[in-house]
Amino acid sequence: MKTQNKYLSRGLLGVVAGAVLAVSGGTAMAGAHGGKYPNKPITFIVPYSPGGGSDQQARRLQPGLEKALGVKVRIVYKTGGGGAVGFGELWRSKADGYTISNVVVPNIVIAGKKASVGFKAGKFSYIGMTERAVGALMVPKGSKLKTLKDFIAAAKANPGKITVAGVGSTGKVNMAALGSILNIKYTYVPVSGGVGKMIPMLLGKHVDAGMTASNHAVKHKASLDAVVVAGSKQIPALTNVPNESKWEYMTTWGVMAPPGTPADRVKVLSAALLKATRAPSVAKAISNGGYENMYQTPAEAAAYIAAAVKKFGN
Amino acid sequence: MIEGLYQALTLSTLLWLTVGVMIGMIVGTLPGLTATMGTALLVPFTFALPTGEGIAMLGGLYVCAMFSDAIPACLVNTPGTPAAMATAFDGHPMTLQGRGQEAIVASCFSSALGTVFGAGCYLLLAWPLMAIALKFGPPEFCWLGVFALTIIGSLAGDSILKGLGGAAIGLLISCVGISHGNELSRFTFDIPPLQGGVSLVAGLIGIFAIPQVLSMVSELRRKEFIAEYKPKSGETLKTIRKVMEHPWHVLRSSAIGSFIGILPGAGSPIAALVSYNEAIRWAKDKSQFGKGDLRGVTASEIANNAAAPAAMIPLVTLGVPGSSPAAVIAGALMLRGLNPGPELFQNDGALVYSFGWSLLFAGIVTFILGSLFAPLLVRIIRIPLRLLAPLIMLLATIGAYAIRNNIFDVYIMLGLGVFVFLVKRLGFHPGPIGLGLILGPIIEPSLIQALYISDALGVGKVFFTGTINISLIVLTIVSVGLVAWSRRKDAIQERESTSAKS
Repeated sequence: MKTQNKYLSRGLLGVVAGAVLAVSGGTAMAGAHGGKYPNKPITFIVPYSPGGGSDQQARRLQPGLEKALGVKVRIVYKTGGGGAVGFGELWRSKADGYTISNVVVPNIVIAGKKASVGFKAGKFSYIGMTERAVGALMVPKGSKLKTLKDFIAAAKANPGKITVAGVGSTGKVNMAALGSILNIKYTYVPVSGGVGKMIPMLLGKHVDAGMTASNHAVKHKASLDAVVVAGSKQIPALTNVPNESKWEYMTTWGVMAPPGTPADRVKVLSAALLKATRAPSVAKAISNGGYENMYQTPAEAAAYIAAAVKKFGN
Repeated sequence: MIEGLYQALTLSTLLWLTVGVMIGMIVGTLPGLTATMGTALLVPFTFALPTGEGIAMLGGLYVCAMFSDAIPACLVNTPGTPAAMATAFDGHPMTLQGRGQEAIVASCFSSALGTVFGAGCYLLLAWPLMAIALKFGPPEFCWLGVFALTIIGSLAGDSILKGLGGAAIGLLISCVGISHGNELSRFTFDIPPLQGGVSLVAGLIGIFAIPQVLSMVSELRRKEFIAEYKPKSGETLKTIRKVMEHPWHVLRSSAIGSFIGILPGAGSPIAALVSYNEAIRWAKDKSQFGKGDLRGVTASEIANNAAAPAAMIPLVTLGVPGSSPAAVIAGALMLRGLNPGPELFQNDGALVYSFGWSLLFAGIVTFILGSLFAPLLVRIIRIPLRLLAPLIMLLATIGAYAIRNNIFDVYIMLGLGVFVFLVKRLGFHPGPIGLGLILGPIIEPSLIQALYISDALGVGKVFFTGTINISLIVLTIVSVGLVAWSRRKDAIQERESTSAKS
């Protein structure tokens, strides 16, 4: 009995050791060096919680990127601080082209304004912007504030009593822009972790309205009504929703790498990104989702960020 | 719903489901490999399969990981995922008493019960339950977190003050990093990696595994093995009967687990903690909790498993995942061009229901495999301590590293581990510290949001009106009162017995 026990415990040790090897094998692979780029999995940081716009962007691009680059693209979530946690994580990552992340403009500029976050929005290596959506103010179905007229009237009747949720400081800036155009007072409620966390708050009527973008308004059309969208024209997927042309707010999604990533690797990533975004299925999914498609070179993306830094960075 | 049952009952679906369950067994057992990471690693492989089979495999992994995380929790006092923290409170003492097999079989059977209940809610009551869950806004979440904190009363051991101190330490650690909502750095001491906060998984491994390893090392001269273990035949049936002796307890734990699972953002760890606390409150004989009461293990395991299928309810009804593994499954669906949410429910109801049935079957498969392997698994405690201690250390280190691929998390784990090992000697219990770590991220953002809403509506209206708020406040006051009362009674009794002796 005793010897049998011994064998059994050895066998068990073997099983555990095997599992350890399997796990450490995965990490060891990530340490391989040399050779052609890329030759090991690429980590894609998503700075907002699953279910939000950045998550959807990353998931849409993942298969195309994997095919174009010939390696696995692993998506990891680094959420918090209105995106600042994930952006900061990328800032501190090795600039070897094996870690990339979403970039959301102007979120990164607004979050990066605070010295304590430790990164500078203008200094990342930008690969390209892939899509953009205009700001949208939303209310739950059945709300009394469904039309822009009602919303303004209610806000003027009870200044500061209407609550508007938004994602971190970015939502705050966005709502402030609309608030000053409409000349209303309201109370802003910051949500951490992205729009995915805000939807249940809206559906449960814990806040009166939510500040998001046109893509979310399209996705949740069945349960939420858009009051107004930003920009000079209406959104085809959102008929009957008025646009406010003085409100220029726009959210842009793209892909970036840590500052100082070698130019040749940025080039490889850019070619793969353009290929992935041009794929008909992806391009269609983007336009049907209430976004505008974008195809940018790294230089164009850097210029786009520089303009945003100029606009929002002070 | 019946059509979904047919889809889920095909041989290939059941086969891939079983594969998922087996992978889940490994994922849950290894601390640091969470269900989220396991499902994320598995997603690319599911693309070779039809949608139903693919998500059944992911669901199987998720469900089984919620059981197998109890294995290291019971045997070596190290929860395999955060959801098994409460399982360790009674599971490990059971192992120390030579009842390791009973603890594992009970976990496994409870997990199956919880899963079947949770999946039943998914299949039958998804929409009405979701409507209730939506009533939870920021103030309700805040009060839920505060209520869950009252579990300190049951965890604190001899000194309630040390329990509160421990929880405060845990809550403070959870505040490290960039704040929710206004992007301010806190407690980062200019160390950049601290901006991202302390990883919950790495923190829990540090709190539980490292002190365990250190005490194994310090006991090497006196002890060769963790505990005695003799395999018993007929243990499975006997344990099942023991679990079923408390039908009301099983039902309560299932209901708590399912409901908390539906609340977006709360998840299995909170479900297990609240259920454990309620198990103590409703038990007639509370004396054995924390010392190896079977009901402690079943309360935690039933609830954390019931929460797994329940976390899929907000995904299929609202398009918002209720937990991180649910989010990964949502991603897998979106990559196939499906939009999880009300739209999917309307367009492909059979798929939504077949997923529910798959989750239910996953619970049953988990029980079959788990009870078959239980006698073998328990042999882990027959590994001599001189081998087991370095082995746990190795697994802990890899686990802490793997969670974010960040060596800094390993340092945090080691630092916290040594800290807890030392304060344990002063009478602090690791439980309250872990509790603070888990509840901080629930309480803090909801408190901040509720305070902002109070700017518009007033503190009284936001925090102190509404059925749910009032119920949670009353429950909290009653909990605190009961703990204070029973502690006072114990103290008086003790004084009387000592004075009688002298």
